[in-house]
Amino acid sequence: MKRLDALLPLLAPAALVVAVGLLSSLVSRSWQISMLYALVSVAIVVAISVFVSNSGVLSFGHISFVAVGAFASGIMTVPVVSKALVLRDLFPLLRDHQIGNVSSLVLAAAVGGIFAFVVGLPLMRLSGLAAGIATLAVLEITRNVLREWTSIGPGATTLSLVPETTGPLQATIGALAILSVAYLYGRSRLGRMLRATREDPAAAQAAGISVHRQRLWAFTLSGALAGFAGGLLVHMLGSITTEQVYLELTFITLAMLVIGGIGSLWGAVVGALAVSGLDSFLARAEEGVNIGFTLTVPTGTRLVAVGFLMALVLILRPGGLTGGREPSLEAVARRLRPREAA
Amino acid sequence: MTPFAAINAQTLVDAVGLGAVYALMAVGIGLVFGVLRLINFAYGQLVMAGAYTLAWTSAWPTAASVAACFAVVLVLSIVLERTVFRPLRTQSPAVMLVTTFAIAFLLQSIALILDLRDGTIGEAASTFASLNQAVSVGGVDVRRVTIAAIVAAAIALGLLALLLARTTIGLHMRAAAADFTTARLLGVRADRVIGLAVILSGLIAGLVAVILTVQTPLVTPGFGLKETIIVLVGVVVGGLDRLWTATLGGFAIGFATGVINAALPTDKTVFLPSAVFALVIVVLLLRPGGLFSPRGRATVVERV
Amino acid sequence: MSEPPLLVVEELEVRYGNLVAVRALSFEVGAGEIVGLIGPNGAGKSTTLHAIAGLVPYASGDVLLGGKSLRGGPPEKIARAGVALVPEGRRIFGSFTVEENLHLGLAARRSTGAAAAVESVYGLFPILAEMRDRPAGALSGGQQQQLAIGRALVAEPDVLLLDEPSLGLAPTLVDLVFEALGAIREHGVTVLLVEQRAQRTVALADRTYVLGNAELRMTLSPAEAGDTERMIAAYFA
Repeated sequence: MKRLDALLPLLAPAALVVAVGLLSSLVSRSWQISMLYALVSVAIVVAISVFVSNSGVLSFGHISFVAVGAFASGIMTVPVVSKALVLRDLFPLLRDHQIGNVSSLVLAAAVGGIFAFVVGLPLMRLSGLAAGIATLAVLEITRNVLREWTSIGPGATTLSLVPETTGPLQATIGALAILSVAYLYGRSRLGRMLRATREDPAAAQAAGISVHRQRLWAFTLSGALAGFAGGLLVHMLGSITTEQVYLELTFITLAMLVIGGIGSLWGAVVGALAVSGLDSFLARAEEGVNIGFTLTVPTGTRLVAVGFLMALVLILRPGGLTGGREPSLEAVARRLRPREAA
Repeated sequence: MTPFAAINAQTLVDAVGLGAVYALMAVGIGLVFGVLRLINFAYGQLVMAGAYTLAWTSAWPTAASVAACFAVVLVLSIVLERTVFRPLRTQSPAVMLVTTFAIAFLLQSIALILDLRDGTIGEAASTFASLNQAVSVGGVDVRRVTIAAIVAAAIALGLLALLLARTTIGLHMRAAAADFTTARLLGVRADRVIGLAVILSGLIAGLVAVILTVQTPLVTPGFGLKETIIVLVGVVVGGLDRLWTATLGGFAIGFATGVINAALPTDKTVFLPSAVFALVIVVLLLRPGGLFSPRGRATVVERV
Repeated sequence: MSEPPLLVVEELEVRYGNLVAVRALSFEVGAGEIVGLIGPNGAGKSTTLHAIAGLVPYASGDVLLGGKSLRGGPPEKIARAGVALVPEGRRIFGSFTVEENLHLGLAARRSTGAAAAVESVYGLFPILAEMRDRPAGALSGGQQQQLAIGRALVAEPDVLLLDEPSLGLAPTLVDLVFEALGAIREHGVTVLLVEQRAQRTVALADRTYVLGNAELRMTLSPAEAGDTERMIAAYFA
C-alpha cells in the first residue's frame, strides 16, 4: 500500500495522459488535433512546473525554451531541398543538413537545457519580482532574436513543411517521458533540497544547501524538458511562428499551472487538461457547436473565459483545483471510511 | 553617418514627451504599489479602456467625451480594487502578480469582443486630432501633443507632489506606503488611503489615454499593453520602493526609447528590444532594488 | 478602585496556527493606573498587546475599553477609540522629519487642540523640539524611543500600551523613559507596560502581572519590588 501510495503521484497523471492518448487515436481528425494539443500542453506545463513548483519562484520566460526547442528541432527536420529554396539565409550547418525525428527531439531538449543553463547562471540569484521581470526580459529577447536573425531561422515568417510526426503515440510517450523525469526529480535528493529552499530559504542555507545551485539545476532540467516539449509541439503543428511561442502561450500555460494548482504534478496535469478542454470547447463554440442546440459565442471568448477562470481561482481558491497536493490513496481511503461513532 | 547624428532638438523634445507619458504611467502604477504592494499588470488595460471610450464617444462634444473617458477608467479602477485587489491582499506577491496578469488578458479579450462587434479591429479616436499638428517653437518643429503631454505631466506630477508633501492625507499615504501596519496603529484609515491611491491612479490612466490617443488615434485591444511592459521594466529598474525613483525610472526608459529609436537607422533598430532587455537584466542583477535607490539593495523587490 | 476598570482583558486566547501564545488571560487596568506585564521571552506579553491593539486576531475572549468590546476592530479603529500602542522596536518613519512623525500620530486624535498637544510633547521631550526638522532616522535609539512615545501621546489616548520601551537603551536613557512614564501617569493617561526589566517595572507600576508560558502566573505589588527576581525565579524553578 505504501509503495503504491508513493507511486500514485506518477501513476495518476500518467493514467490520465494515456487515456487521452488512447482516445485521440480513435476520434476524428479535428478532435484528435485538440487532444494532441492537450497532451503537448501537459508536456509544457509539467516542464515549467519542475522549476516553479519546486522552487517557488515564478518564471515568465519558460516559453523561450519551448521556442528554441521548437525552432531548432523544426528547422533540422525540414527537408534540405525546401530549406535551400525558402530559407536561403540560414547558416550552412542548418541549411544543408537534416536529421531524424527522434534526434530532433533530443536536440530540442539539449538546446533548451543549454539555453536555460546559460540564462539561469546569472538569473537564479534573483527571486520574486526581480525574477519575474528578468524572465520576462528573456522571453522578449528570445522572440526578438528569433524574429530578426534570419541566419538561424525563418525570422518573422512561418517555418513550415515540418514533418508531422507527433501523433497519438509520440505525444503520449513524450508526455509520459516528461512526467517520469519530473516525478523522479521531485523524489530525488536534489528535488527535496530545492523544496527546502522554497519553504525557508534562510534555514536551507544554514543547513548548507546552495539556493543558487539547486535553482540552477531545476531551471536547467526544466528548460531541457520545455525544449523537448517544444519539439513535440512543432512536430504536431507541422509549422511554427514566433507569435505562437510568446505572450499568449505564456499566459495560457501559466493559467493551466495556477488553475491546476502549483506544487504538484497532479495539479499541473489536471490544470493542463482542464484548461485545454475548456479552450477547445470554446474554440469550437466560436464557430458554432452543437450541444443539443447550437451555441455560438463571440470570437475572443476563449481567452476571456480562461482569464476569468484563472482570476477566479486565484482569488477564491489560490491553491487551484488540486490545492497543490498529490493524490494519495490514504486520503481517498480516509474519505471513504464510514464515520467513526462520536 | 554616425548613429547619433540624427539626434537633434526635435528628437530630444519628442523623447522628453515620451518620457513624460511613461513617467505618468509609472506614477499610476507606483501609487497603487505603495499602498497595496501590488503590481498592477492590468494598468495598461485601464488606459485601453479609456482610449476605447474616447473612440466610441468621438461624436460627442470634446468635454463630454473626455469626461466619459475619465468616468469609465475610474469606475473600472474602483471595481478592480474591490473585486480583485482587496481579496488578494493576504496572498503572496507572486499570486498577486499572476492574477493581475490574468486580469490584463481578461480585459484585453473583452475589449476584443466588443471591438469586433462592428466587424473590424480598431476604433478611431479622433477627438484631439488637431493636436497632432506641429508648431514651431524657437525654430524647432514640435507637435502640439508633445507640448501638451509635457505640460500635463508636469502639472499632474507637481500637484501630486504637493498633495503628498503638504496635506494630511498625503502624509498618511506616504506613511502607509512606508509601513502600513504602523500607520494603521497610529490611526491612519486604510480604506481611505487605498481608495485615494486608486482614484488618483485612475485619473492618471485617463490622462494617459487622452495623450496616447492623440499620438495613436487607432485604438486596438493591445493598446497600452506594450507601454505597460516597458513602464514596468522602467519602474523596477528605477526602484520600486520609492515613488520618485519609480517615476524617474519610467521617465528614463521612455526618454531612452525615444532617443535610441530616432538615433539608430531602422535596419539597426531591429535588435533594439533585445539590447534594452539585456540591459534590464544586467541592472536587476547589479542593483535589484533599482538604479536610483540609495544602496541598490533590494528590499521589496527581492523579498517578494 | 471605586470606579469600574478602564481596560478589561477577559479570557483572552491567541493562537498562531497550532501554537497557543496566550491562554485564558484575564486582568484589569483601572483608569489612571500604570500596570506592568513582565515575564520571560515567549511568554505572550507582546502578543497580548498586539491582540488588544487589533494587530492579531484572537481565538476567544474579549477586550473591553470602558465597557465596549474592541474585538475584531481594525487597528485604526481601535486607535481612534483611544488605545495607543508604542510597538517594540519603535517603528518610526525614518525618512520623515520628527515633526511629521508627530503629526502622523495626530491621525487617532479625537478632539481639537492638535497644536497644543504637539507642543506639550515637545515639553515632555525637549530633545525632540531641537530635532524637529531633522529626519527621524538621524535620531539615536533613545531619542527615537522618545519620539515613538510622543507620537502615541499626541493623540491623547485613554490607554497607552508600551512594548519593551527600554529595549536596547543605555541606563541613563532607561531612567529617562521611566521618568517620562511617571509624568504621563500624572497627566491622567492609563498605561499598560510590557517590559523585560522586571524590577523597575514592579517598582513603578501600581500592579504588575507576571506571564509565563502563555498564562498569568502571579501578581506583584511595588512593595515586592526588591524581591522581584527571587520571587519569579522561585515560582518558575
